Amino acid sequence: MLNGIFSVEFVNSILRATTPILFATMASAVAAKAGICNMALEGMMLLSALFGVLFSAMGGGIFGTASGLSQFASFGFGFLLTVLVGGLIGLIFAFCILHMKADEILAAIALNLIASGGTVMILMAVAGEKGASSTIASVAAPKVVIPLIGSIPVLGEILSGQNLLTWLSILAVIVMHVFLYKTPMGLKIRAVGENKNAAESVGISARKIQYIALVISGMLASMGGFYLSGGYMNMFTREMAAGRGYIALAASSMGADTPVGGFLVSILFGIAQAVANLMQLTTIPMQLIQLIPYLTTLIGLGIYSYARMKRRKKLLSSE
Amino acid sequence: MKKLAALLLAGAMAFSLAACGGGDSKSGSDEGNKAASGTEDGGGAEDGAKDQESGKPYKAAFLVNGNLGDKSFYDSANEGLTRLKEDLGADVFDFKVEEMGGDPADEANWEPTLLDYCDTGEYDVIIIGTWQMYDALNTAYEMYPDQKFIFFDEPFDFEAAGNPDNIFNMMFKQNEVSYLVGAGAALMTTSEEIEGIDPSNSIIGFLGGMDGVLINDFLVGYIQGAKDVNPDIQVAVAYVGDYIDSAKGKDLSLAQFQNGADVSFNVAGNAGLGLIEAASESKKYAFGVDSDQAALLPDYAASIPSSALKNIGNALYLAIQEDMEGTLKYGTMQSYGFAEGGVGLVLDSHYEEVLPESIRTKLAELQKSIENGDIVVKSAYEMTTEEVAEVVNSVKIQ
Repeated sequence: MLNGIFSVEFVNSILRATTPILFATMASAVAAKAGICNMALEGMMLLSALFGVLFSAMGGGIFGTASGLSQFASFGFGFLLTVLVGGLIGLIFAFCILHMKADEILAAIALNLIASGGTVMILMAVAGEKGASSTIASVAAPKVVIPLIGSIPVLGEILSGQNLLTWLSILAVIVMHVFLYKTPMGLKIRAVGENKNAAESVGISARKIQYIALVISGMLASMGGFYLSGGYMNMFTREMAAGRGYIALAASSMGADTPVGGFLVSILFGIAQAVANLMQLTTIPMQLIQLIPYLTTLIGLGIYSYARMKRRKKLLSSE
Repeated sequence: MKKLAALLLAGAMAFSLAACGGGDSKSGSDEGNKAASGTEDGGGAEDGAKDQESGKPYKAAFLVNGNLGDKSFYDSANEGLTRLKEDLGADVFDFKVEEMGGDPADEANWEPTLLDYCDTGEYDVIIIGTWQMYDALNTAYEMYPDQKFIFFDEPFDFEAAGNPDNIFNMMFKQNEVSYLVGAGAALMTTSEEIEGIDPSNSIIGFLGGMDGVLINDFLVGYIQGAKDVNPDIQVAVAYVGDYIDSAKGKDLSLAQFQNGADVSFNVAGNAGLGLIEAASESKKYAFGVDSDQAALLPDYAASIPSSALKNIGNALYLAIQEDMEGTLKYGTMQSYGFAEGGVGLVLDSHYEEVLPESIRTKLAELQKSIENGDIVVKSAYEMTTEEVAEVVNSVKIQ
């Protein structure tokens, strides 16, 4: 068990478990900053997991998969198209709740249900399968091998050979942080989320800002979805999002809907999952082990609300 | 604007309903059925409303609480019924398949659909299965005492129900076929003839869906088989916690392989596909379950020596013929094991390629011994939770 925890493979398994949640957490954060609870993440991820397989297979058909370069082109084609469609799903979702004034929770439930049945229907139509896309020759995201660093023991082994999308998810945290806190658009998004009326009173179109935030949210969620079927696994399997969209919602709100906070909580969730996986190899009863991810969430939430309470008290006393 | 929104929502609903496999339960209306099969995949079986003029065939209704196309359970049942229809002719035996859908949203439709089918009185027998249909059956058998049911893959508590005589309970000895898988895995992990296997340790793996009696029935047989051929065997047991999270299944399996397991066995539905990917990536081996997974997953076939099958189709084929002769014992439970052809390993040329002859001979011997009763495989259905835990702990990695 201890050997397991201090191995490179353990770090890798944390990163594997963290990556999809991290993308979705960023997706949730940007929507939440604009004042929308994006419960449709689950469905967006599931749809993108399927589209990722279909589009990258399409890319494989166009560019071939013979050489490393053509494989990368196939992946790039599939990934970009998936992210575009992810943005489109975000746009449709935004249209329903902003333009049509549908309740955001109900619209999200509808989207999640459509994703759950629709992915199976599309899979059936395209591949004649209902459970998994094993017959579709999809192209997964490549692993990034860093030439010199890779030969350094432990650290090099961790840094080199990670999935490209794992790096991209970490990059997404930085980009989202800069975007939300250092750009005019980020300021507008936060202003709308903080107080819609106040933002509109200074001439910001709240609806436009929320549209933009949801499109970005959809794009980020689709990256997480792509990773599920083209990185974590190499095929789409039915319902494979398995609640990660909802976990990301929790992670984002635990991280106070900030990219950096969400990043830390996602890592925490990833660690909890990886530890739980390893502990199944021990004689500790399985029921206790399955508690770990949830227990971590509970403790994390407790610490978070305690810190917030303290801060509020401090603010009140200083007034 | 509002109209458009309403239209959109209606469209979304129709889409999701159709996608769920159409909970359309109007068995009488031909049009309704046609519409339903138009929007979904057409199903596997052409049902025979057309043969009604030519005499009165024995009619069965198979209500699927999921969809055909699972390439496993339901397809096997459908295959058995189709074979029976072909062998006997449509004027002697006919059947209808109703796909009720397997999503949570469809569950509410299962019981009404079952009752609708009972209500028609057209069917000599209604076939349903799995624990998820238990409650629906509990309602139906009382309301329709003249309707016969075949209920498969979940034990029916006859005593608690007051010994109803209109239910035939069909069970499968998954523990027997798991015994063979366990023996195969244990023989493989110390074999020097198989590529990629480290013979120095005796560790094998097991990936289950949820920690329940059905999965543990597989597990108990698996462990018994492994121990019988190698008393020092260690088994890494992991449960995904559901049947859908293939990525988590992969992570759990990678951890097993990294800790020395060479061969594993997936009994976790779609989540088990994660094990197969993990085996393929680690250049190790994983036994399949419920359908011929080597044939279904050609890219991963090299890592799948064989698959454990429940031949529901075979069992239905036998049971319905017995029913036609009036010898099927309603009011009892019958288990179909190796001896009845109810379970088995896939023994094709692929199996012969992956496994060396010495192991295959040994497995064939073991199967014979189970068939003639020399080996009795323990069943989790007859054990307490503590006893199962004891079995699992006896082979845990130290």
